[in-house]
Amino acid sequence: MLEVSNLSAGYDAKAVVLDVSVNVREGEAVAIIGSNGAGKTTLLRAICGLLPVSSGNVQYAGTSITNLAVHEIARSGIAFVPAQRHLFPEMTVAENLALGAFPHRPDPDQHALVLDLFPRLAERRHQAAGTMSGGEQQMLAVGRALMANPQLLILDEPTTGLAPRLAAQAYESLAALRGQGMTILVAEQQVPLVLGIADRGYVLENGEIQLEGLASDLRGNPTVQRAYLGVV
Amino acid sequence: MTAVILDGIVLGLQFGLLGVGLTVVYGIGGVLNLAYGQLAVVAAIVMSITMRSGLATGPAVLAGISAAVAIALLLNFTILKPVYKRDDEDRVLLSLLLTIGVAFIIDGFLVWRYPIEALSLNIDWDPVSILGVRMRAGSLLASAITLLAGGALIFFFRTTTTGKAARSVIQDEVGARLCGVNPAAVRTLIFALSGVLAGLFATTQAMTSPVPISAGFDFTITALLVTVVGGLGSIRGAFLAGLILGVVNAMSSFYIGSYVTTIILLAAAALTIVVRPSGLFGAKA
Repeated sequence: MLEVSNLSAGYDAKAVVLDVSVNVREGEAVAIIGSNGAGKTTLLRAICGLLPVSSGNVQYAGTSITNLAVHEIARSGIAFVPAQRHLFPEMTVAENLALGAFPHRPDPDQHALVLDLFPRLAERRHQAAGTMSGGEQQMLAVGRALMANPQLLILDEPTTGLAPRLAAQAYESLAALRGQGMTILVAEQQVPLVLGIADRGYVLENGEIQLEGLASDLRGNPTVQRAYLGVV
Repeated sequence: MTAVILDGIVLGLQFGLLGVGLTVVYGIGGVLNLAYGQLAVVAAIVMSITMRSGLATGPAVLAGISAAVAIALLLNFTILKPVYKRDDEDRVLLSLLLTIGVAFIIDGFLVWRYPIEALSLNIDWDPVSILGVRMRAGSLLASAITLLAGGALIFFFRTTTTGKAARSVIQDEVGARLCGVNPAAVRTLIFALSGVLAGLFATTQAMTSPVPISAGFDFTITALLVTVVGGLGSIRGAFLAGLILGVVNAMSSFYIGSYVTTIILLAAAALTIVVRPSGLFGAKA
């Protein structure tokens, strides 16, 4: 479904990710794990058009989306939830959700599905997004991304700024989505959480893929255990 | 006293409308258009010339507004192109320098070709009594047009999908793009809208006092004051600030003298900024 081949990208001609290849098949949940500064965010931003791809190729559903404008990629069925969430702070929860469906009118079924996943958003629908707690804002960011009925959901560090309990909750909702057949690509530092829902994973360090494999294999891998799972 | 306040409200509503046109362009494009007042003046001069050559008032007003829209779009598609490649303060600064240049060019052209042109729209209906004050029909019509335009703006930004998309770009451009909003398309629309507002302002101004070719920078400064007091990028802030500054303007010219009005307006704006640095409804400092 998503095929990233030999992608390099960065800031001001300095490559942050180098020659990275990642693929995501339909219905899969794929994790990109790596420490802070490994290039996870840069990779996802380049896929979604927020950063220019300096070389390589991004194919989605059989067509190249390399260096398309962000809004064109968004309209093609890829929803991206950045770590900073980028909500509309002065708009209500309902308005934020409605804009998720832009340029179309919100689909009632999709709306119901989102509120079913995050009942808290229904309680808060008239509240301004900027006044909500971090956990609620995270729910809204994912909910808004789902409003367009995307084929592929990409998330960057969905646990950013969340207390452990809320981080676990965030992954419970991702697991529920995955159960409904959603294709998911997620970058995460909290490796135990993300490997709990992922089918496969890539380990990104210093801008390059160091390791890839099934989530179960990665959990058993000594390097991963030492670096990310706290096993000595 | 009542009469002065009513005059201030008539003026303030128009200030608000003028301010909205500047503030939405700033909010969406990150562009401070210092040729904004000149857009209103060009609209006025086009109205005046077309009316003298025999066009009826209605079509002449439409022609004037269209001229302001055309210039706004021309700026958006030509000299502002390099501006959009910059970010944040760079973008504001470059837009400010380029548009002030445009303002001088327009002013120079008008002085050269139409030195004594001015627009007056005389509404010769009977005065109407409001709260015991006889109000000129021109003032009332100007206020009615402004209120209608303000209502239409609020309807557009609050309820239509396009209007909400425009607000989303003001609040978080990256978020808007991730939702599938094309900021360049929104920017084009908002520039056209600012042209319409400048043209409408010229029309309503001309109903209460003549609009000469030299009024451009005065209009821009008024719009800037309204925008800063109301909070950059805030529409309701612009209307509230317009009303406040309109009443301050009317009171100070009546009780003190029109020569110090500008000073008092600037002082009022400065005071607001000291108390609330981001303006009455500013999103962030």
